[in-house]
Amino acid sequence: MEASVQEATKGFSRRAAEELSLRRGEPDWVREMRLSAWDTYEAIPMPKRTDEEWRRTDIRRVPIDDVVPFTELRDKAGSRQDLPARVLSALSTGVEDSGLNVQVDSSPVYTEVQPGISEQGVIFTDLQSALEHYPDLVRTYLFGAVPVDDNKFAALNAAFWSGGTFLYVPSGVEIEVPFRNVVYNETPGASVFSHTLVVAEDEASVVLVDHWSSAEGEDLSLSCNVIEVHVGEAAQVRYIQLQDWGRNMWSFNTQKAHCAQDAQVNFLNVALGGKFSRSNIAGILNGAGSLAEMLGIYFADENQHIDHLTRQEHVSPYATSDLLIKGALKDRSRTVYSGLIKVHPHAQRTDAYQSNRNLVLSRNARADTIPNLEIGANDVRCTHGATVSQVEEEYIFYLMSRGITRTEAIKLIVDGFFDEVIERVPVEEVQEFVREAIARKIGL
Amino acid sequence: MSDTPLFQVENLHAGIEGEEILKGVDLTINRGEIHALMGPNGSGKSTLAYIVAGHPNYEVFEGRVLYKGENVLEMGADERAQLGMFLAFQYPTTIPGVSMANFLRLAVNSVRGEDDGEGGKKRIAPREFRRMLREKMQMLNIDESFATRYLNEGFSGGEKKRAEILQMAMLEPEFAIMDETVSGLDIDALRTVSEGVNKLYDGTMAMLLITHYQRLLNHIKPHYVHVMLEGRIVQSGGPELAEELEAKGYEQIRSELTPAG
Ligand SMILES: Nc1ncnc2c1ncn2[C@@H]1O[C@H](COP(=O)(O)OP(=O)(O)OP(=O)(O)O)[C@@H](O)[C@H]1O
Ligand SMILES: [Mg+2]
Repeated sequence: MEASVQEATKGFSRRAAEELSLRRGEPDWVREMRLSAWDTYEAIPMPKRTDEEWRRTDIRRVPIDDVVPFTELRDKAGSRQDLPARVLSALSTGVEDSGLNVQVDSSPVYTEVQPGISEQGVIFTDLQSALEHYPDLVRTYLFGAVPVDDNKFAALNAAFWSGGTFLYVPSGVEIEVPFRNVVYNETPGASVFSHTLVVAEDEASVVLVDHWSSAEGEDLSLSCNVIEVHVGEAAQVRYIQLQDWGRNMWSFNTQKAHCAQDAQVNFLNVALGGKFSRSNIAGILNGAGSLAEMLGIYFADENQHIDHLTRQEHVSPYATSDLLIKGALKDRSRTVYSGLIKVHPHAQRTDAYQSNRNLVLSRNARADTIPNLEIGANDVRCTHGATVSQVEEEYIFYLMSRGITRTEAIKLIVDGFFDEVIERVPVEEVQEFVREAIARKIGL
Repeated sequence: MSDTPLFQVENLHAGIEGEEILKGVDLTINRGEIHALMGPNGSGKSTLAYIVAGHPNYEVFEGRVLYKGENVLEMGADERAQLGMFLAFQYPTTIPGVSMANFLRLAVNSVRGEDDGEGGKKRIAPREFRRMLREKMQMLNIDESFATRYLNEGFSGGEKKRAEILQMAMLEPEFAIMDETVSGLDIDALRTVSEGVNKLYDGTMAMLLITHYQRLLNHIKPHYVHVMLEGRIVQSGGPELAEELEAKGYEQIRSELTPAG
């Protein structure tokens, strides 16, 4: 069944949240959660340029009243072959996965888990089904890492999330081959409110690759996603997000990991698409000796606006956070990076590193970068650095003098610039995806 | 084979930031010839090399630079390299993040161009490329780990010079300018690099060796020697000119050329 925007009501409201819940046949507690989240959403004012966190990002034109909050439930796909072509092409590289979950607009359409995975107690399914089958488990963690009142858009997600992904790995289970989640916006003018919930119990280990893309279209779409990662003691979660929305998308993303003692989280956020993209990414080091690696790559062109807000929050001692986010800009694009290292009073022996580097490829592009420290303990090591630079003409000349064209030379330099990040992510398909995306952006 | 000279500089006036550094340079190099260009610091030798290679910061006020009869001054640096010209830099640039092997493969394929279907050079297969790279690295006594290192990053002065000659060996140019390629090398490195250059010289390619030391010319024998002073070639001759220079020094040449009074 095809969903179309015309037949649905545009804009968000309490009634719309209630209707979504009723149509999905959710239990009362879920409906109540949505309605209370709506109240929270209403209570938080819409961000303005006068708010410190929004000084360089203007969202007055967010199409929040012009999109439909959810579309009709679609039929499930019987097999991978029944998935939309664009989704298939993202998967057609013949790459192995431990499981695949696909969401189209607001519908979960496909879940597949490879043999031998469920037998180990691993759960991988859409969040809606997880609510049905594992209500207690989901209830324990849902909005535990990203509180409903974290920010206005997290609250909106709490009221309107649909589809979603739930990945649960029991104690001591280690799964090397990545799980994959694909979110596809097929109907321009619809919204995508995905919710990714990852729970790794003590000493578990897992990798999840989240891939977001959309069909071409004029009508503006809105995406308001939340990613919650709970990392148990000495557990390890690698979460990779490949944001490749169409240019009609306004994307808001709130992502947080909570790390228990000796836990490790490895983030890679790749932001390529969208007309507007705001990522709010946090590593919360609750446990002593925990580690958060927060890597990022963005490449803005045309009139894109890509904004990252990061937080490395050291609650306990002996924890490490290591953030490296690199961005390139072309045409008239704009990027904003603003990051905070926050060290709580008891978090002695914190080791925190934060670095944002920008490579500006056009005179009309502009990158702003604002690093911040807030240190409450005295025995810590915190370093941060931020740069905005142009491609050195001297580099280009050197490469051209070896017969390489100017465009190829720039690509080599930009590849080299991003290599420092990519080589730290040992997932070959992701490295390939990023290199191809860079070539595409540069125009090769 | 035409009898057009391979490389010709005609009445070249050029400089940087509006300042004239080359004040009318003429130079002709034929296939198979090795020329040495000597001259004191600041006389304009590297300026000539940069202009020939197409560095965008330099301006040409007058004159032409012809390669196989074509004026290359209108061309981008990449086109000149694709035509078979090469410059080994006096001060090679460091490029972070760009590995030697990746860069060289792209460069080799760029100068070879597309398969012309007439038996001309064509794109190199990855295996063939690796084999060739290993062989050339051995010849120049370069450690294999250099292939994966970033371009010139953390290379010592001597390593950078060797890396330049490695690039030349891989790109197989027909005309190469080597700007102070062996200055600053210790005696062993000097021997390895000059032996490498001698192996690359196949009797048909042409070379212009820029140096202000006569020492290099004991290892690579030029057919012609030119002396540059203050932006002009003031004297040209055979290999014996280099020895004469060594004996007299540039000051004496300068005073001999300037009529007293
Ligand atoms: N970027 C620049 N801006 C202004 N003047 C320059 C620049 N580069 C070189 N020059 C000047 O041009 C003149 C020639 O310099 P060039 O480097 O060509 O000399 P050279 O013969 O190669 O010297 P060396 O033997 O030291 O390598 C010098 O007077 C130098 O100061
Ligand atoms: Mg010089």
